[in-house]
Amino acid sequence: MSIPPQEAAHALRDIEHAQRHSAGAYRDQKFSPHLFLWGAIWIVGYAGTYIWPGASAIWLALVPIGMIGSFWMGSRGAGDRSRAFSGWQYAATALAIFLFISALMAILPPKSGAQIGALIPVLVAFFYAVVGVWTRGTRIALLGLALGVLTVGGYFWLPQYFLLWMAGVGGGALILGGFWLRRV
Amino acid sequence: MDQPDPIIHQPARLKIMAALRALPSREQLEFVRLKAIVGMTDGNLGAHIVTIEEAGYLEVEKDFVGKKPRTRVRLTKAGRRAFENYVAFLREIVGNESS
Repeated sequence: MSIPPQEAAHALRDIEHAQRHSAGAYRDQKFSPHLFLWGAIWIVGYAGTYIWPGASAIWLALVPIGMIGSFWMGSRGAGDRSRAFSGWQYAATALAIFLFISALMAILPPKSGAQIGALIPVLVAFFYAVVGVWTRGTRIALLGLALGVLTVGGYFWLPQYFLLWMAGVGGGALILGGFWLRRV
Repeated sequence: MDQPDPIIHQPARLKIMAALRALPSREQLEFVRLKAIVGMTDGNLGAHIVTIEEAGYLEVEKDFVGKKPRTRVRLTKAGRRAFENYVAFLREIVGNESS
């Protein structure tokens, strides 16, 4: 049995297409639990600080919970060590983000809680958009774009209810995004 | 490889193998997700999976999540190797044509 070169080239294209689709669906599926976790954290954190304005320290507990949860989800069930991200990569990424945000706050100190509440989601949105673009993850990129627009929109147009807006719409968008990414 | 592997050479089975090869090794893919990725019907996909499984290229695991049955599949080492050989075979044909 011989295969004509055109047929071989066509088969290689089919393979590439199927692999890209499968790898993208797999990546999105693995990403979705992180969105559920952080969506829940945003709802609790933003709603908590809206209801009790003095309780912003709640974030000091929620952020480490989220980081540890993300670290745990990212490192479990990684069967292929050559392709999966290893634990130190997650830890180093979390540390780099923490240092970046700390440096940013030191250089450009926010004047209000709402500014902090908007700045970090905008950075998260930027991160999702960039990751989505570079990994061809259209849904992750769109989620980042939506999150950025919703955050900036709420900050400027609903300043009085911004924290509530971020709890419902920001946290809700993350959770809905998580369900969306689970679909093939 | 002088001849294409007849198990993988079939276009639908090639798609299935390619989709599974894109996952990290030992990672399983649920039947329903694989069906959506390769765009086949339940019956068609099921029949091809049996053929690939009988060749030793794929493992099928069936269990229940609550009361709902779940079928998961993954490539075996032999399956990954056979797929890589098949891709190399195709590349060789394309390379010979262009050189």
